[in-house]
Amino acid sequence: MNTTVEVLGFAREPAWLPWAVQYFFLIGISTAAFFLSLPGLVWRHPDWRGISRRALLAALVCGLTAPVALLADLHQPGRFLNFYLHPNLGSWMAWGSFFIPLYLLGLIGYAWLCLRPQMADLAKRPSPLAGLYRKLAYGGHDNPSAIKAAALVATLGAFLVLLYTGMEVMVVQARPLWNTAFLPVIFAVTAMTGGIGMTALFEALSGSRQSAPLLNRWLVRGSWLTLVLLTLWLAFGLTGSSPTGADTLAAMGGSFGWQMTGGWLFGSTMLTLWLARNERNSLIMPALLALHGAWLIRWIVFIGGQSLPKMGSASHPYILTLTPDSLLGIVGMAGLCITLYIILTSLIPWDDQANA
Amino acid sequence: MNAHPDLSRRAFFTALPAVTAGLAIPAHAADEANPHWAMLVDTRRCIACQACTMACSMENVSPEGQFRTVVATYAVTDQAGKTGLSVLPRLCNHCEEPPCIPVCPVGATFKRKDGIVLVDGERCVGCAYCVQACPYDARFVNHHTGKADKCTFCSHRVEAGLLPACVETCVGGARIFGDINHPQSDISRRLAAADGKTSVLKPEAGTTPRVFYIGLDQQLDGRVDGASTADMMWRPDTQGA
Repeated sequence: MNTTVEVLGFAREPAWLPWAVQYFFLIGISTAAFFLSLPGLVWRHPDWRGISRRALLAALVCGLTAPVALLADLHQPGRFLNFYLHPNLGSWMAWGSFFIPLYLLGLIGYAWLCLRPQMADLAKRPSPLAGLYRKLAYGGHDNPSAIKAAALVATLGAFLVLLYTGMEVMVVQARPLWNTAFLPVIFAVTAMTGGIGMTALFEALSGSRQSAPLLNRWLVRGSWLTLVLLTLWLAFGLTGSSPTGADTLAAMGGSFGWQMTGGWLFGSTMLTLWLARNERNSLIMPALLALHGAWLIRWIVFIGGQSLPKMGSASHPYILTLTPDSLLGIVGMAGLCITLYIILTSLIPWDDQANA
Repeated sequence: MNAHPDLSRRAFFTALPAVTAGLAIPAHAADEANPHWAMLVDTRRCIACQACTMACSMENVSPEGQFRTVVATYAVTDQAGKTGLSVLPRLCNHCEEPPCIPVCPVGATFKRKDGIVLVDGERCVGCAYCVQACPYDARFVNHHTGKADKCTFCSHRVEAGLLPACVETCVGGARIFGDINHPQSDISRRLAAADGKTSVLKPEAGTTPRVFYIGLDQQLDGRVDGASTADMMWRPDTQGA
C-alpha cells in the first residue's frame, strides 16, 4: 500500500451554513411540539391540557422562525419565488417548498381555532386591545370539529416536513455520513426530544411544574431511541454492514476531533436520559440538554459532514465567525424566537390560569 | 446603361436565397452531427504548473480562492520507499448521469445535447443542493453571485470555435478536448489508442463522467486516505493575515 501526502489540495468550504442547522433544528422542533399539542387541544386529555398549550406556543415560535433561516440561506430572499415558478418535482427540496406552507398554514389555522374562545374572553375585559381580540376571536366559538380538521391538515404537513427534511439529506450519495436510512429516523426522533425540550422550557418559564414527570417520561423514551439509533449506525459502520457508514468512519480516520464529537454526543444524550429518569420533577436542565442534543446532531450532520473530503485528503474545518451567515445568524435566529415568544405571550396568556 | 444596376440588383436578390440556404445548410449539418464534448487528461504529461487553474480563473473571472479547475498534487511513496509526484487535474466531469441535475429544486442545472452540463444563472436560487450532490467537489457557490458555479468546458469559447482556456494554456498538452462522437477527432483517436487504459473518477458513483484520465493513480480517484499538508499549514482565511 502506497502512502500519500497531499501537497496541494483543494477542499471546498461548507456550502450549507449554520442557517441550515438552524432551519432543520427549528422546523423539527416545531413539528414535534405541534404533535405534543394534540392530546390536550384536540383530544382534550386533562393531563395534557396545560402541556399542550405550551407545546402550541413552542410550535408557533419555532415554526414561524424556521423559514426565515431558510430564506437567509438563499443569499437573496426574493429567490424563493423560483421554487414556485420553476419547480423540479424530482427534487425533495422542491417538494419542501410546498410542504412548509402546508404545515405552517395548517398550524396557524389550528392555533387560531384553539385560541378563539380565549380571545373572546379577552375581548370582554377592559383593555386597549379589546377591539383587536374581538376581531381575532371572530365570534369566539369553540369548534372541536374545525379544530380537528385544521389539526389534520397540520398533521399531514408536519409528517411531510419531517419526511422531506430527512429524505432531502439522505439522498445525497456524495456524502456518506448523510446517505444512510438511519438519518431521517434520527432527525425525526431528535426533533421529538427537541420538541419536548422546548415545551418543557416554556413550561418552566410559565411557572408550571406539575407536568415535569409526564414530559420527562417522554424524554426518557426519546433519549433511549436516540441512543439505540446512534449505536446501530455505529455498529453497522464498524462491521461494514452499511457501506456508507464504513466510508464515513474511514473518512473520519480516527481523528481526535471526531472521537471527541462522538463522545460528546453519546455522553450528553446519556446525561439527558439520566436526568430525565432520576430528576423527574426537574424541567430546565433536561429541557436544555434535550435542545442541545437536537441541535448538536444537526450541527454534526451538516457542518461536520461537509468537512469530510469528497476528493483528496484535505478537510475544510468550519470556524464560527462574527458574520451574518455564521455566529450572528445563530444569535439572530435565537433573537427572533425570543421576540416571537415575547409578542405571543404578551398578547395571549398561555399559563394554566388562562386556560381555566 | 440603366439596365446594369437593375440586373445587378435582380441578380443579387435572386442569389440571396441560395446564399442564405448555403450558409444555413452547413450549420444545419453541424447540428445533425451532434457533437458530444469531452476531455481526456493525460496525467503523464501534467507537470502541476497550475497554468490551467490560472487560465480558467482569468477566463471565467472566478472569485478569489474559488476555482473551477485545479491540479491536486500528491507525494506518493511506494512500498520500496521511493517517493514520486502524482497529479490529479480536477474539473466538472460533465457526467452522462449527473447527480446535480435531479436534486436542483428549480431545474436550473441542465445538460445540453452536446454533453455540457450548465447552470442557468437566472433561475439558480443558490441553495447549494447541487454542490452537495456532486461527488467530485466540482461545484461551489460563487462568492460574487451567490449562485452555483462550475466548469462549463468554456462553452462560450467552444461556441466560438475555440478550445477551453485550460486546454489552450496547458504547457504539456495534458488536456485534450474534443468531440467524442467524431471518430477522427483528436480525443477520439487518443481514446482509441489508449485501448481501454483510460479511467474516470469514482466509477462506482455510476455517474458516467465525460472527463477521462490516462495514467491516473487509482489511489487518487476519490477520497484519498493520507495526510494533507493543508491541514498542517497556515491558512490566511482562517488564521488571519
